[in-house]
Amino acid sequence: MFDVLRSMRDMDVWVPRTVVQMRRLGVQSVPIALFIATFTGIVLALLSSYSFSGAVPLYFVGTLIGKTIMMELAPVLTGLALAGRIGANIAAELGTMRVTEQVDALETLAFNPLSFLVVPRVLAATVMVPLVVALAMAVGVTSGWITAISLLDLTTPEFLKGLRLFYEFKDIWFGLVKSASFGLGIAAIGSFKGLRTGGGAEGVGRATTEAVVISASMILVLDAFWAVILL
Amino acid sequence: MRRRDEVLVGTTIIASLAAIIFGALYLSKASLWTSTEIRVARFRTTGGLGVGAPVNLRGVRVGRVNVIRLGEQNLVEVDLQINQDAVASGILPERPGVIAASASLFGEWEARLIDLDLPPDDANVLADLSLVIESSDDGAWPGATLPDIGELTAQASRIAGNITDISDRVTTVLDDEAVGELQQSISDFANTVQNINALAEQQRDVFGTVSQNVERTSDLLADAAMRLQLTLARVDSATSEGELSTIMANTATISTDAAAMLGDLGSIVGVVRANEATIGRLFAGADTVLAKLETGRGTAGLLLSDSALYQEATLAITELRSLIADIQANPRKYFKFSVF
Repeated sequence: MFDVLRSMRDMDVWVPRTVVQMRRLGVQSVPIALFIATFTGIVLALLSSYSFSGAVPLYFVGTLIGKTIMMELAPVLTGLALAGRIGANIAAELGTMRVTEQVDALETLAFNPLSFLVVPRVLAATVMVPLVVALAMAVGVTSGWITAISLLDLTTPEFLKGLRLFYEFKDIWFGLVKSASFGLGIAAIGSFKGLRTGGGAEGVGRATTEAVVISASMILVLDAFWAVILL
Repeated sequence: MRRRDEVLVGTTIIASLAAIIFGALYLSKASLWTSTEIRVARFRTTGGLGVGAPVNLRGVRVGRVNVIRLGEQNLVEVDLQINQDAVASGILPERPGVIAASASLFGEWEARLIDLDLPPDDANVLADLSLVIESSDDGAWPGATLPDIGELTAQASRIAGNITDISDRVTTVLDDEAVGELQQSISDFANTVQNINALAEQQRDVFGTVSQNVERTSDLLADAAMRLQLTLARVDSATSEGELSTIMANTATISTDAAAMLGDLGSIVGVVRANEATIGRLFAGADTVLAKLETGRGTAGLLLSDSALYQEATLAITELRSLIADIQANPRKYFKFSVF
């Protein structure tokens, strides 16, 4: 990580490539994140209404959807999905470049592989994952709202009442801070595993698998860490 | 290709930031276009009141809790963000106070603005408000906290427990035997009611007669009342013609005279009492004289009891009168005066 920080001095190298990585790692991840968020909102609305039948007012469906999606489900589920997509992408790409000696070629051409390959990916993931998660939050809450008014005996004012009931701004930035750490970790682990790849195609596959597994585990560990620190 | 990447990335970033900002503002019920003013309220404790909690006036939201911090004198200071519209319209009370209270059974709290001229009828709240008023002289709004719903629930639970105890005791008292006795009492009461009904049937004629008598008596009373009314009318007329006044004046005069007489009589009695001993002696002497007269003792007694003596005395008086007449006629016959 210290090498990556030192490599950020070469801004002429990594800045132009960061936008490309932001599109590849962020924009192209939006569909899968929104897909997950949509169905998460639907299931959450139905599950909460099932759980609340009885003493708890039904407008707490809005409270549960808002809190859980913004603070937990959108960041974690999106992070896990992006761990598979981004982590595998970075590890496989960099691993292939390593086994095909493209990284060595860059070094031969006096390019810093970290500035050229790692910094753009890490920055792009750190910036774009929270933004993708923010969209996932909005879509997840919206799908939960539509489910509540369509399939449950709940009106829009009631849903919004529950949604606003215990809302704090911390609910949003807590999820975004977690997401940024997830993006940073996923890109860093994928880059690390990719650049450390050896053993040909088999090594690339192994590095990719390890990057995804470690990234997913890291997401859960960071999730608990931030819960302890920020809540 | 690179231009397209930039557009896509930029669009995604803008959309995400828009979602974050709009969502945060909407969910926090904050508005960028509504100006607000900060008012400081002080509480002994704020209970479950939190930042972002609504500030309501008569149930209508007029602001939100902005900051909660510990203040001086063991008080808690709360910054209330009041909408400028509410402040400018003058709907806030002249002497505002703040009550922190549960807004629902599920832990929501709100700050209610009240008029201190119409404080709630709660001793604890009034005590809290008085404490803050005495401790603050900088215009901060005094605040008080109503009990948490948990405390109320615990109190209700205790009451429910007491009711359960009472129910158990009632159940203990109302055992099968007691219930049987109660049923027997009810049956007896029903029989008593039937007997009373039968008696009432029997006494119906008597009651009719009594009713007629009562009616007749009532007529008589009415007649008497009429007469009394006539009498009173006469009295009224007499009063109106001044006769009664004259009578009353005469009566007053007579009373005055009688009072004077009683005064004189009192004086006489006083004199008599003063000379009681003399009078007693006088009566005693009179008794002695009368006794002697009755027994014929003494000169007077002899005169009264002896007729010969009376005749002689009478004769002597006659002769004495003749002598006096002779003396008057011929004084020189009996008296002789000479100077030398």
